[in-house]
Amino acid sequence: MSESQPLLATFKVAKSYGSVVALREVDLAVRRGEIHALLGANGAGKSTLVKILAGVHPADAGAVHVDGQPMQFHAPAESMAVGIATVFQDPALIPDLTVRQNLQLSEIDEAAFTRWLAWFDLDVLDFDALVRDLPLETLRMVDLARALARDPQVLLLDEITAALTAEQAERVFTLLAQWRERGRAAVLITHRLAEVRRICDRATILRDGRNVALFEPGAAPAGPNGSSTGTMFDVGEHELVEAMLGTDVLDVEEKEESNSRSPQQPDSSSSSEETAFAVQALTSADVVRNVSFELRRGEILGLVALEGQGQERLFSLLSGDRRPTAGEILVRGSQRRWRAPSDAVADGVVLIPGDRLLTLLPNLPVRQNLVVPLFSRIRQWLRLPSDERQRVMNAIDRLSIDTRAASQVRRLSGGNQQKVAIGRWLVAGFRTLLCFDPTRGIDVQTKHEIYALLRELAAGGAAILLYTSELAEIQLVCDRVLIMHDGCFVDEQDAAHATESSLLTAAHGLEVPA
Amino acid sequence: MNQSPLPTQANAAAAAPAGLAARAAALVAERPTLALTGILALLVLITGLVEPNYLSVSGARNTLLQAAPLGILAGAQTILMLTGGIDLSVTMIATGSAYVAANQSAEGAVIAIVLGIVVGLVVGSANGVGVSVFRVNPLIMTLAMSGILLGLFTAWAQTILQGSTQMGPFIKLIGGGSFLGNRIPYSVVVWALIAGGLIWLLRRTGWGRLLYAIGDNEIAVRLAGVRVWQVRITAYIAAGVLGSIGGILLGGRTGAVDLQLANAFLLPSVAAAVIGGTSIFGGVGGYAGTILGALILSVLNSMLTFLNVGQAIQQVVYGAIVLALAWGYAGLTRRA
Amino acid sequence: MITTVRSAGVALWRTGLARNTWTLGVWLLLSVLLIWYATLIPVFGQFQVTSISKNSLPLVYLAIGQAIIVIAGGIDLSLGALLLLTNALAARLMDDQPFAMVLFIAIVLIAGLGILNALVGYVISVSRVPDIVVTLATGYIWSGFALWILPSPGGGTAPEFRWLFTGAQSGIGGTYVMPILMMAVPAILVFLLSRHTRIGLSIYAIGSDSVASRLAGLDVRRAKISSYAIGGAMAALAGLATVALTGTGDPRFSVGANATLNSVAAVVLGGVALVGGTGLVLGVVAAGVILIMLNPILSAMGIDPNNAQIIQGLLIAGVMMVGGLVTLLRERSA
Repeated sequence: MSESQPLLATFKVAKSYGSVVALREVDLAVRRGEIHALLGANGAGKSTLVKILAGVHPADAGAVHVDGQPMQFHAPAESMAVGIATVFQDPALIPDLTVRQNLQLSEIDEAAFTRWLAWFDLDVLDFDALVRDLPLETLRMVDLARALARDPQVLLLDEITAALTAEQAERVFTLLAQWRERGRAAVLITHRLAEVRRICDRATILRDGRNVALFEPGAAPAGPNGSSTGTMFDVGEHELVEAMLGTDVLDVEEKEESNSRSPQQPDSSSSSEETAFAVQALTSADVVRNVSFELRRGEILGLVALEGQGQERLFSLLSGDRRPTAGEILVRGSQRRWRAPSDAVADGVVLIPGDRLLTLLPNLPVRQNLVVPLFSRIRQWLRLPSDERQRVMNAIDRLSIDTRAASQVRRLSGGNQQKVAIGRWLVAGFRTLLCFDPTRGIDVQTKHEIYALLRELAAGGAAILLYTSELAEIQLVCDRVLIMHDGCFVDEQDAAHATESSLLTAAHGLEVPA
Repeated sequence: MNQSPLPTQANAAAAAPAGLAARAAALVAERPTLALTGILALLVLITGLVEPNYLSVSGARNTLLQAAPLGILAGAQTILMLTGGIDLSVTMIATGSAYVAANQSAEGAVIAIVLGIVVGLVVGSANGVGVSVFRVNPLIMTLAMSGILLGLFTAWAQTILQGSTQMGPFIKLIGGGSFLGNRIPYSVVVWALIAGGLIWLLRRTGWGRLLYAIGDNEIAVRLAGVRVWQVRITAYIAAGVLGSIGGILLGGRTGAVDLQLANAFLLPSVAAAVIGGTSIFGGVGGYAGTILGALILSVLNSMLTFLNVGQAIQQVVYGAIVLALAWGYAGLTRRA
Repeated sequence: MITTVRSAGVALWRTGLARNTWTLGVWLLLSVLLIWYATLIPVFGQFQVTSISKNSLPLVYLAIGQAIIVIAGGIDLSLGALLLLTNALAARLMDDQPFAMVLFIAIVLIAGLGILNALVGYVISVSRVPDIVVTLATGYIWSGFALWILPSPGGGTAPEFRWLFTGAQSGIGGTYVMPILMMAVPAILVFLLSRHTRIGLSIYAIGSDSVASRLAGLDVRRAKISSYAIGGAMAALAGLATVALTGTGDPRFSVGANATLNSVAAVVLGGVALVGGTGLVLGVVAAGVILIMLNPILSAMGIDPNNAQIIQGLLIAGVMMVGGLVTLLRERSA
């Protein structure tokens, strides 16, 4: 009976947003005492499924069962009431209230909350601080501690480790292991497959709104999991990826991978040694200190840093969004003093921000999104370029943007939105491209399309600065790589020989052994 | 292309239970102006039933005479609402411009009109600077501006603007006169020219594209290299000029000008844009809808006048219909 | 040990001061204006205090109601019309009635208008039509009703009721205790409600981030409706104060429209941001009094009262510009 009955289950759940189908038919069964991974490429429907389970949106069809009872959630409060606690990607905390007021609102027992905070080493947190003033990683922990203080049966964690330090992530894993011991359940959404292999018991893979695979521990046959502490199935990461993408897609992607590697060698030799963009002793308060580098035409310069080492500030200085407190920015040899992003754009220096909310016009069609920079000068205001349509079509073709939901960009998948963000500069033209983590949270296929595009742009003479949180990208895409730590550049490596371990060592501010 | 059979909008609609109502709703959701035109026609018919004489050239002329200034003021609101702004001072701009134009009528129509429009230019610039450079909330900036203008003109009416409050003959002709055997009002020609210009600006120019873009996500537009303050200031200036033109036409229609002239048009100017489908949050809408909105409100006004129900009931019905239209519109567009 | 406690207390005070600078600033401005006014006129005493406080009552009530709605992320352009409606109803119903009956009517009106505006809040939340549009339309409806109930100025109320708000049964002169009490008690009640109850905090929450509020399990619709109910009740109180002040009813549309715009001005001047989620009701009280005080100050200075409009506008625009400039510079330097 209850042994075999899943704690949380969905049957043929479907959901569409307007004309866009997010979930077609998804079955999910989460047992007591298991950590269940929910995996899939972007747009596969993971977040939609979490939203349905959390009561944010009702399902169009299908059933959700908790402990065998059919449920119809109309609001998140109803899902919480039956013992489901969700930690969303964006912390569900009220920015203009203090931590304490937030707890009061959620009717959380402060003692339980404090115990969980202590567990995450956050017992120094000031409960009278405004949420608005706290850093994102703290807020995610606060949100998690609040969820735990509700003492839920099921924990839904959407990309919980994304904004956490390695240490904090470790705490979360230990917590999940204990969670399993206590016979509770958790659903973990993540892009980091190593985590899945390490701490999850089973994994449900979604693709295109359906479940395509369920990985279970091969050794254990049916029945409850033993009292194993560390588990995980014997499948490799490659198999997980294959299931997420489908085999045919993977073939294409590998081809592209080989394509993108090949032009690298001739490319760097053929490119002129002309410096497109340079920075000397750039400083912004204590956040960016005395940073210098040169970026040549045809070069892709990588930038690697742990979270919060000043890279966001550096990019906002380089894109003209903020003025440096000291130091110089040189474009093709001449010094520039930018007052706003428009000055940088006029010099051909353009930014693709990390946060797509900063770059998209969510309610407007793809075309209107792409053409914005064409009108940055007043003299361009009273007409449309005669080739507007043509330029837009070219950019859409070149990036193979899926325009099925073209009438509103917010309906596109994350990967397609990122393509629109890049496409804007293909339409407008540029000399120096600043990319801030352009592939974060994007499916593997789109990632490789973006790599190929960056190489192609560099081959065409563009200078590219690429900050990435995925170290594997460095070898794949870059020529050189700079490592930033605590606001300074601490190392430079040749991208071809930069390994993940050498990069990580340097990023922690440590000496890399020769 | 690839095999995933995502239903397009068309076959999704076909798959839906093919009730006539459902199909009509889908059609209307796709082309909201059709629904507005239908409502307008319906209102005209009802008014015709109330007062058979209304369905005539002179009835149409009267409605258009009312609608022209309202439509132009609502054009100012449309431009600003697209950027996420609003102008609560537009009726004071209109009143002030008309007052100046009337006062300067002795100098000749051209000078009077130009000076009237200068009022809109100056006030619009001030609003624009306050909103875009000093980042004052548009509602507050224009509300404060409205108070300042009322105070200034009240004081000036005793001093530098002392004297005539009668419009010159040319402005009276433009505002209230008609041609082709008293059929077509001149003010409607002015409105049509302005409407053509506005629709062109919004649909076929970079400036228009930027208005929508700023209303949708200002930060993105800034990062795309646009100086957002330039767009905003020009938008407020354009709104100020439209306010002036609307005010001068209105003054021409009434002949004499006082400081209450355009007061009653403030809320209808916003309502016309809203009924026409322009979102008060920005990024969505257009002037074609606003034109229909202004016409609907004017016909409604005529109807309530013919019904002779008294001002109290007029206000109640007016409010109820604005609410019903906005609600219906929101319901339809959400379903799409 | 003691020192750490004390320094923690000091720190708490400091953050309290830092977070409520605006509220304190507005009260400071009010004090300065009062002192200035006292030096401007030959005699400053009970009469002036009574006059300023009772004349402020309608605007202060309306602004408190508007503040709660704005904090919840909305805006209510019909509050002035609700004032008109109460004013008309009260003048009509209270005429020649004994005090007990008048009080009963007053309580029914406050409750009734609260419920009526809660209904408007419900319509906004169901229809998803923006607040400003719905209340624009309902504003017409309520002022229409007001005009229907009271086609021309008239009606009346009990002298005791006038004393309650003005401190004098004739509405002239009298003690300042009553108007100040009538201002302070509702203001403090609404303030405590907004900061120290769960429903009050949820009003702040939905104005600050309605998506996060929903995800955190709050009932967003209930909070929204509550804010409109409070706004309606405060508008009713403003209408009652108007009857008490003038001893009669006046259903003119423009009176309501001006009252609405003034309430928005007082809210913003009082430090409640129109985006919602921040600000305190207490600051709005001071701002309302300041806006009313400008008139007597100007006449004491011998300036044409018509200029009060200009000064008021310049004050609001100027304060907001300085506020905008400060944020701009802070962003630059950060």
